[in-house]
Amino acid sequence: MPINSTNLLPPELLARLERLELVTRKVFRGRMKGERRSHRKGQSVEFADFRAYAPGDDIRSIDWNLYARLDKLIVKLFLEEEDLHFYILIDDSRSMDFGQPTKLQYAKQLAAALGFVGLARTDRVRIETLSQGLRKHGPVLRGRKSVWRMLELLDAIEPGDSVALADGVKNFCLRNTGRGILVLISDLMDKSSYEAGIRYLVSQRMDVYVIHLLSQEELEPDVKGDLKLVDCEDQDIAEISVSAPLLARYKATLHAFVGGAQEFCSRRGINYLLANNQTPIKELISNYLRRRGLVR
Amino acid sequence: MTEYFRNTLSLWQWGLLALVPPAIIALYFLKLRRQPLEVPSTYLWNRSLEDLHVNSLWQQLRQNLLMFLQLVLVGLAIFALLRPGWEGTRLKGDRLIFLIDNSASMAATDVDGASNRLAEAKQLAKGFIDQMDSNLMAMIISFSESPQVVQEFTSNRRLLRERLSGIQPSAHGTDLSSAIKLASGLASPGRGATTESDEAITRAELPPATTYIFSDGRFEDVAGGVTSDYLQPIYVPVGSFDSPNLAITVVSTRTSEERPDERQAFVEVSNFTPQPQRVIVELALDGQFLDAAEADVPVGEAVGTVFPLPVGAVGALTARLKYQLGSDPRDVLAADDIGYAAINDTATGRVLVVTPGNIPLNTALVTERARRLANTEFVPPASLDTAAYRNDSENGTYDLIIYDQCAPVQMPRANTLFIGRLPPTPDWIANSEQPTVEAMVVGPQILDWNRASPLLAHVELGDIVIAESLFVQPPAGGDVLIEATAGPIAAVAPRDSYQDVVLGFEIVGTSADGAPTANTNWPLRQAFPTFWLNALEHLAGHGEVQQANNLRPGRPIELHVPANAQQLSVLTPDGRTIPIERSRQNFVRFSETQQPGVYQVRLGDQVLRRFAVNLFDRTESEIGVKPTQDSDSQTLRPADIRIGEVEIAASSHRTPGRVETWKILLACALSLLVLEWYIYNRRVYL
Repeated sequence: MPINSTNLLPPELLARLERLELVTRKVFRGRMKGERRSHRKGQSVEFADFRAYAPGDDIRSIDWNLYARLDKLIVKLFLEEEDLHFYILIDDSRSMDFGQPTKLQYAKQLAAALGFVGLARTDRVRIETLSQGLRKHGPVLRGRKSVWRMLELLDAIEPGDSVALADGVKNFCLRNTGRGILVLISDLMDKSSYEAGIRYLVSQRMDVYVIHLLSQEELEPDVKGDLKLVDCEDQDIAEISVSAPLLARYKATLHAFVGGAQEFCSRRGINYLLANNQTPIKELISNYLRRRGLVR
Repeated sequence: MTEYFRNTLSLWQWGLLALVPPAIIALYFLKLRRQPLEVPSTYLWNRSLEDLHVNSLWQQLRQNLLMFLQLVLVGLAIFALLRPGWEGTRLKGDRLIFLIDNSASMAATDVDGASNRLAEAKQLAKGFIDQMDSNLMAMIISFSESPQVVQEFTSNRRLLRERLSGIQPSAHGTDLSSAIKLASGLASPGRGATTESDEAITRAELPPATTYIFSDGRFEDVAGGVTSDYLQPIYVPVGSFDSPNLAITVVSTRTSEERPDERQAFVEVSNFTPQPQRVIVELALDGQFLDAAEADVPVGEAVGTVFPLPVGAVGALTARLKYQLGSDPRDVLAADDIGYAAINDTATGRVLVVTPGNIPLNTALVTERARRLANTEFVPPASLDTAAYRNDSENGTYDLIIYDQCAPVQMPRANTLFIGRLPPTPDWIANSEQPTVEAMVVGPQILDWNRASPLLAHVELGDIVIAESLFVQPPAGGDVLIEATAGPIAAVAPRDSYQDVVLGFEIVGTSADGAPTANTNWPLRQAFPTFWLNALEHLAGHGEVQQANNLRPGRPIELHVPANAQQLSVLTPDGRTIPIERSRQNFVRFSETQQPGVYQVRLGDQVLRRFAVNLFDRTESEIGVKPTQDSDSQTLRPADIRIGEVEIAASSHRTPGRVETWKILLACALSLLVLEWYIYNRRVYL
């Protein structure tokens, strides 16, 4: 039993999550209780459509009654019941290791909560990080029994090597080509611009959610005096003398940054949500994510 | 250096000091040692800094608010070292006493910039208090007829100012000597009434207190006996020399000389202006206009005006000065332009004559006119032992008791007139010989008599022959009435509020065999009834009227409480009713006579008597500050005042001193330092 599993998924949150399910706008039009229907026709008991037989079709699906009536070979199509692919991509760069709680910890909690929702509805849940190697697939989790595995997996995530957002996303896209829901939890603090990374996601036929996670220290910096700011990832140095105009300028820059990210995402049909590490997970899920339509 | 700056440092010190501001600037422009701080990303910070670098010079200045504050601080310190200041005034001494005259004349309005002299004096004193250093202590004493400690020694300037503003003008005369005595007593080391005095100061080391006397100098010089050892007096004259003032100096009522049944009011107006004045004297009875008369008053003189009063008039008489249109001499003191007199019921007094039988006296006291003045009762000397007499004499039932050829054991509560005997008080006995044969003067020749005495008004004693008489030497305070060849043979002397008159010679004597004999031919002269009428008029009740009209503000008056009255009340001129509890005796002292005007003594709604309180003080009314001519410059200056043997010049009341501002500058620098500390700690930015 992971020691800090309760940290990631507190019991009181579980009760709330039980009632939620993941929603996607792209892939499914309707739903059945406990399962999801795929657009792909396939092997199920639910009739979907007819179509003319083409060579190669499984002759078991030919509707012989129609053949008798119409003298044509018509194939019955059935809806294929398919489970939902739910991907969570966590930015595990060093910059996420800041804040109280750290942004990474917050991201892990959020991933655990969303993953639990998916597992509870027997969706396929896959949790990956940006620094994960190209060939290194994350395990697919399915079913309630996998909750503990998921938590163990999350628990093992540590701030790793800094990988550019674009590279991390690109690797992810190469690894996972299927459809589904993707939740990217990142602070988007990429000096080589986050846009490229997000563009990769656009090309993926996924329902993408970007949760832009910033710590309170970034949103409302509480700094004084003459400082030498050291970037934890690339050791870049910024010398500042804190003053009211500088703080005002920082706020404006932050505002522009957040606003720019939001606009960039919404132009490309990506759901964007700015999250503060001080907002309780419970609140974030039941208020913000619900409003965005990720869960209901 | 200049008038405004003084150098305090040498050249090399200045040079060193001049290096400080560049040093501060240099330190600020040196590369800062910044504190490293790891942040998630410098991404946003760098972008923010890029924007700011656009106007970096101004940013630099704004960020260096602390540097500017330090430069200003150093600038202030340098400025303080130049000791900027200017010639100002400074107080002498380390203990101050402000003696503030609040007598009647201080209400004169002859000062510029203040409503009256007292306000001016208060303003001056306030200026002194404002200049006081925090280690100075001051005391305020107001003085008029009696001094009053307004505030004891304190260094609390706010308290001093508060108490100072509370000093009110009074209607009293001025007595500096008691004020000096009080101040000297309080300032003396032995009785230092210091409230916050430092015990460490040994009392002998206390220097004399600087005493500022704010006054118009209208007082008697302080007599030689008064010392001012612990005081260092400085006289600050208030007011101007030639302030014009006219005053009513006497208001009285009297019986007309020509028509005895008519009463007259007598008003005297004094002119203290440099020109002759024509004024209108207006007389009102109980507020109703009665009469008016014009009076021409020469410079420095007093002119009396007589008004007939209606028969049986009773009430409060008010005399006012009015000026004809256009001739207003700008009288600066309003308080003395009004005078009061009380006209009481001329109820007949009660007179008791204790006599073994005296036909001339009897005849003189029962004339119609005498009866109008007094009710006279005759009793034999034997009645002196009765309880009824003792009771009456102690209760003051009678206004006058005449002892003819007898004397009581104890003096009564009444005016007395002794004929041929001396009063039984030690004063009289000690001054006169016992009425023995040796002390008797046989056939004294009258040399002179006191014509000024009201008792002897119109009394001609030139051709009186007296067989024998006693020596009558009055006790202290008394006056000799008749001086004979061998010595005084008649005298009058005050006793408490009464008067005792002694005629040393009997009018009618008794021979050895008991037969009445004539001792003098006086009864045959016109002077005899005149004397007795005078005696009745002045001793049987009218003396009181006289006394009442001359009461000065603040002086006590003895009021007679009738036997049947439990509680009296006095209605003051401003309408207050002051109840008077009767004491064991039949007389009570009433001393709340601060306000000029006519007071009514009431028993229930009935007015028993009235008395008037008047300023009537020529010293106060002559209000110009006493001038003296400067011998060198031929200019007038306020006269010196004399305290004891010391002449105190009406000095310029300030001593020059330099007003330094370096303390203020350093205080500013200190507050800047506090501000800088605050900015540094609380990160206040422009």
